[in-house]
Amino acid sequence: MNSIIALSLFGIANLFLGFLNNRKILLPATLAFVLVALGLNLADWNQEYLWFNNMLRTNNLSVNFASVILVATFLVVAVSRGFGDDEEHTHPAEYYAIMLFSVVGAIMMVTFENLIMLFVGLEILSVSMYILTGTDKRNLRSNEAALKYFLMGAFATGILLFGIALIYGATGSFNIHGIEALVLTAAGGSAPALLYIGIVMVIIGLLFKVSAAPFHFWTPDVYEGAPAIFTAFMSTVVKTAGFAALFRLLGGAFTGVYGTWIYILYFLTMLTLIIGNITAVYQQSFKRMLAYSSISHAGYLMLTATAKVAHTQSSILFYSLAYSVATISAFAVLMVVAETKESNAEKTNENFDIFNGLAKNNPLLAFVLTVSMLSLAGIPLTAGFWGKFFIFSDAFQRGIVVPLVVAVLMSAVGIYYYFKAIISAYFKEGDVPAIELKPIYKITLIVTTLLTIVLGIAPDLVKSIF
Amino acid sequence: MQYQPSDYLPIIVQLIAAIGFIVATMIATHSLGPKRNTKLKNEVFECGIESVGDARTPISVKYFLVAILFVLFDVEVIFMYPWAVNFIHWVNTSAAVAKEMFLEMLVFMALLLTGFVYVIKKGILHWEK
Repeated sequence: MNSIIALSLFGIANLFLGFLNNRKILLPATLAFVLVALGLNLADWNQEYLWFNNMLRTNNLSVNFASVILVATFLVVAVSRGFGDDEEHTHPAEYYAIMLFSVVGAIMMVTFENLIMLFVGLEILSVSMYILTGTDKRNLRSNEAALKYFLMGAFATGILLFGIALIYGATGSFNIHGIEALVLTAAGGSAPALLYIGIVMVIIGLLFKVSAAPFHFWTPDVYEGAPAIFTAFMSTVVKTAGFAALFRLLGGAFTGVYGTWIYILYFLTMLTLIIGNITAVYQQSFKRMLAYSSISHAGYLMLTATAKVAHTQSSILFYSLAYSVATISAFAVLMVVAETKESNAEKTNENFDIFNGLAKNNPLLAFVLTVSMLSLAGIPLTAGFWGKFFIFSDAFQRGIVVPLVVAVLMSAVGIYYYFKAIISAYFKEGDVPAIELKPIYKITLIVTTLLTIVLGIAPDLVKSIF
Repeated sequence: MQYQPSDYLPIIVQLIAAIGFIVATMIATHSLGPKRNTKLKNEVFECGIESVGDARTPISVKYFLVAILFVLFDVEVIFMYPWAVNFIHWVNTSAAVAKEMFLEMLVFMALLLTGFVYVIKKGILHWEK
């Protein structure tokens, strides 16, 4: 839990590091801060604690989720390259500080014991994301995305808060273990209608944050408008934190009234999978395709969040890790290639065709892109395959047949649009000049790719920890 | 004790009564009171400088920054009032609690001051830059 306090202080420290007029120091400093937070987080391993008057709980589950979040943050910061040399229009100290603050919110969403903490954590995370989405101040799309995200997010937060209030009205408790006990007794018969309405509203609020259909409409526009580095951050950290919160509620507090939400979630899972995958097929923009792919991955994760078997949590964790690592490498490749092309053209081009002929002069980038696409598509010998395998086998054990069949069919559809990027890189004619990568960038790309492959060959390395 | 949605009916009734009172009074005063419209009476300000243009002129962003900072620090300082009122009570009950509460306020003030230093260093309070 000290990681939350440390990250808050590090964020403030980062703001003041910005006054040193030395932009070079910020990137290593932030990386060090995240590493320290990761260390403090791991110090809570194998201990069960309640913190701050029963507001937060740390246990192995929360340590695992927080570690996945911190690793993803570390990788995103590592590929941020200090946000370029544009002194006037970029403010790296503030960006890094806001990223650290938002991780505080994400960890609170993982460790909450009290619904108020869930709300506070969600808001810290969301408000930071609204700001980061609009950081490209001179880009109209970025402004539009930030406003859209803010308005829609504010509504979703309102619904979540209303749901929390109704649950409090029905059970008289904000504590999720208290709610769990009260829900179990209420499930016997005389549960007030407020409880069911409240539970559904809380689920809606969280599903919005993880961009599940039909609350996904903001996702493509926001992901496309935001600067690529923050899109990578959004689609990994926010999603992991959101699913951690959803899992803790569905698997704990709301289990008693299983029958209320399970069929809603089955339906929404199928809807999310179908909308995410089918729409992704039609995208011209690689970034927009990744947005729809993140919707479809939300669908896979929902499938396992509803399949409550003993090892569901390790499946969610493994999938989040595999997905985060692959997504970060895809965005990293997109960023450097789009930047190289940008100097030739006026407008930033983030379509599939920028990868045309990538393999000729940049074999490393093409390979990294290929591995990440294969992992997202779920091809064997990558981490993504095992992620999908664990999720599907959980669903099968639980006997959720119809959503499982939809998920399998839709992952076959996924192969089509992920392979479009690979085909562009290897088989299409085009000229991408040889791109010179900074050492830290190259190392991060190699690490994410290796991680994907190693987890694909020996998933038990990580799965046994979770 | 379980509450049903219908148990909250009195709240709605009170809400309707409150809104109804306002609407009824406004209608009553408008229809009962005498009306004398003259050009002078319909002016926005009956005295002072005559108004020029409308309110929708562009205003420097700096103004909003200073305004929002004022609100921020104002609200944060308000937290000190309940703390100060309760502090003597803590001192009277237990020294340990009083010490802890004092430290809590120190942490709060430290964070507040850090933010203030950041704002000054950023040069937001420099009106002409």
